[in-house]
Amino acid sequence: MAAPLVLVVLAAVTVRAALYRSSLAVFIAERVEVASPLNAWKRVVEGLALLDLGVSPYSGAIFHETPLIIYLFHFLIEYAELVFMITDVLTAVALYLAIQDFNKVVFKKQKLLIELDKYAPDVAELIQTPMEMHYIPLKVALFYLLNPYTVMSCVAKSTCAINNSVIAFFILATIKGSAFLSAVFLALATYQSLYPLTLFAPALLYLLQRQFIPIKLKSKSFWLYTMQYASLYLCSLVVIICLSFFLLNSWDFIPSVYGFILSVPDLTPNIGLFWYFFAEMFEHFSLFFVCVFQINVFFYTIPLAIKLKEHPVFFMFVQLAIISIFKSYPTVGDVALYMAFLPVWSHLYRYYLFYENLLQSCILQMLHSHLRLCNLNSAPAFVLRNIFILSCVLIFCSFLFPVLWHLWIYAGSANSNFYYAITLTFNIGQILLISDYFYAFLRREYYLTHGLHLTRQDGTEAMLVLK
Amino acid sequence: FQDQAEQFFRSGHTNNWAVLVCTSRFWFNYRHVANTLSVYRSVKRLGIPDSHIVLMLADDMACNPRNPKPATVFSHKNMELNVYGDDVEVDYRSYEVTVENFLRVLTGRIPPSTPRSKRLLSDDRSNILIYMTGHGGNGFLKFQDSEEITNVELADAFEQMWQKRRYNELLFIIDTCQGASMYERFYSPNIMALASSQVGEDSLSHQPDLGIGVHLMDRYTFYVLEFLEEIHPASQTNMNDLFQVCPKSLCVSTPGHRTDLFQRDPQNVLITDFFGSVRKVEITAAALSLDRDVVGLESKFPEEELATEPLKYAEQLPVAQIIHQKPKQKDWHPPGGFILGLWALIIMVFFKTYGIKHMKHVF
Repeated sequence: MAAPLVLVVLAAVTVRAALYRSSLAVFIAERVEVASPLNAWKRVVEGLALLDLGVSPYSGAIFHETPLIIYLFHFLIEYAELVFMITDVLTAVALYLAIQDFNKVVFKKQKLLIELDKYAPDVAELIQTPMEMHYIPLKVALFYLLNPYTVMSCVAKSTCAINNSVIAFFILATIKGSAFLSAVFLALATYQSLYPLTLFAPALLYLLQRQFIPIKLKSKSFWLYTMQYASLYLCSLVVIICLSFFLLNSWDFIPSVYGFILSVPDLTPNIGLFWYFFAEMFEHFSLFFVCVFQINVFFYTIPLAIKLKEHPVFFMFVQLAIISIFKSYPTVGDVALYMAFLPVWSHLYRYYLFYENLLQSCILQMLHSHLRLCNLNSAPAFVLRNIFILSCVLIFCSFLFPVLWHLWIYAGSANSNFYYAITLTFNIGQILLISDYFYAFLRREYYLTHGLHLTRQDGTEAMLVLK
Repeated sequence: FQDQAEQFFRSGHTNNWAVLVCTSRFWFNYRHVANTLSVYRSVKRLGIPDSHIVLMLADDMACNPRNPKPATVFSHKNMELNVYGDDVEVDYRSYEVTVENFLRVLTGRIPPSTPRSKRLLSDDRSNILIYMTGHGGNGFLKFQDSEEITNVELADAFEQMWQKRRYNELLFIIDTCQGASMYERFYSPNIMALASSQVGEDSLSHQPDLGIGVHLMDRYTFYVLEFLEEIHPASQTNMNDLFQVCPKSLCVSTPGHRTDLFQRDPQNVLITDFFGSVRKVEITAAALSLDRDVVGLESKFPEEELATEPLKYAEQLPVAQIIHQKPKQKDWHPPGGFILGLWALIIMVFFKTYGIKHMKHVF
């Protein structure tokens, strides 16, 4: 499997190198969808130039990178393009190895459950075979490296690539089972941008599962392990933050980085939801709504942890997606990271049956969240039913972003509402994508244990709906 | 003979220039254009040719669609005096009258493509009359309702002119509200300044014409124009008479003047030194030897100030010197402690994960 991966890597590097040399590089680097105030390359250069002039880069609201990035780029600024290409390659390789390991784990678990007779007898077509799982790691690496979002992010030299690579290493360390490394990388990821804090829960669940520790609130070994992991994580976080203090001998970076992420003072338009709301909000309410919006990111962790405690890697995927939709300054680089995981769950859309009333199902999916049997006259389908529509929505929105930006800013014939509409549609598309996967995944699990043909008590055909 | 010769050299200037600026636009500021044009008329009548006048009018009143008498600008009601005529040469018109253009004209920093008529080509033997009118306030003069020039900028511009030897003597007249504030900051020698009102006072307009519908002139300039109509090229009227023009009873505001920077006594300064271009021609049949002690040339510029070689524009900005004076940029380096700490941590993590026993495989 190494040779195809090397080929993919070479192709990706060629595409990026070609784009670096073309005139598109400048155009892409300026786009707000790719470069946010947190990770724009222009700001990194500005901060380093300020440092050369003897001024703290955090004075003034330009530079919002962490001191470790200062250190990294202080020596590597001439090779910036190489650094970003290597970062992308490292991310892809890390994801490849992680998914390879994960597939082995999944297959082992599946085998165990089959032998323990946990599965219903007629679910043969739902079981994953090693044959189809063989190419999934390569597909993951492919999806990450050749995703136009990643390529654009790399060409724009947005430090989102570095964030993604740290998260990828964290996932690799977690799946390999090393609690120490996983805690260190998670601390690094949290230090870089605050939101990977929510990935603590899925990582913990996965490691507990790996150690065969049952997840019961009363179990002592559960709490012991949790405490160990949490203390590893917190200690490494504290160590990294204290180390950053010694770079510039000041705590300036904390309000500049974390204060900036949490209080969202910069309202440049991006593909997220914060800017429009806060641009039109009265100051009186802005603190309240900032808190509401930020809580929204962290809020889904606990319910998802309760629901998905048997499937922590899927939980991690959903959590990553939630972070990249609801974070304060999202860019397409964040979207690219969770999209790389889509091939891992490609078995969920094997069956393309007919489409039901999409709107009704969307609303139903979004409103409630537990399974119920109901009497609808249709054949069972755990298919990802909206994939076609959603991929169209996402692709369309990606193309409409620069168009409406041009209309708003340059032609003056549109206004911010137009751009915000596309932002909203893009985010709704993403949310529907995630909920579709979530629904299909849970449904598949239900079918695995209860059989493909569901019947009610009176013997009529039944249909699973996420309520 | 020798008295006449002395008088010949008394004033020290050999040519005259005038820069006449009207800074306001819109029809209801008719009077500012009329002010400027009446000074233009007087100055031209007294001998300064169009090539030596830079006339800046911010709006075109003569051809304004609201002018009931097109192609005319009157300064007296009942259409007594048309100051527009057939031979008015406006050098900076309409939107070209900006603070930047004005300062460029004064300091001579003009792009090479500027036509000659738009340049102030004065030298160190030029007497320049600068007349400005419009709306102003305490310390500023408004240009075109969108920008303003401050008294500090004006003073600095005059200092540039002095340092570049662009004038011999300068007469600055301003007719705006609180006009005296504009000459407060002058610090260059050989400047005499007059203003129509003191700080805190408004300059008022003179008379409206009911046929045209706007006020035609400002009071101060109206009375200055009346005063100037009596002057002819051979007049011996001096500046003290100009200072008396428009007392408070007529002008309602108190005109002010400033002569402390001027080296000659205003008593000895002729009006025509500034308002006219009087070539002193003495016809004599006898020969006159011009020795130093006969002529009694007063050095206008003390010896140490005179440059021994002609000053070139480029030499006034020692760019080479500036470049070498820039501080050398010191590069920032991360502190050693940080690097040590970071790499120690990384090595510790590495060892913890892979164990020391693997090290022998690495090396």
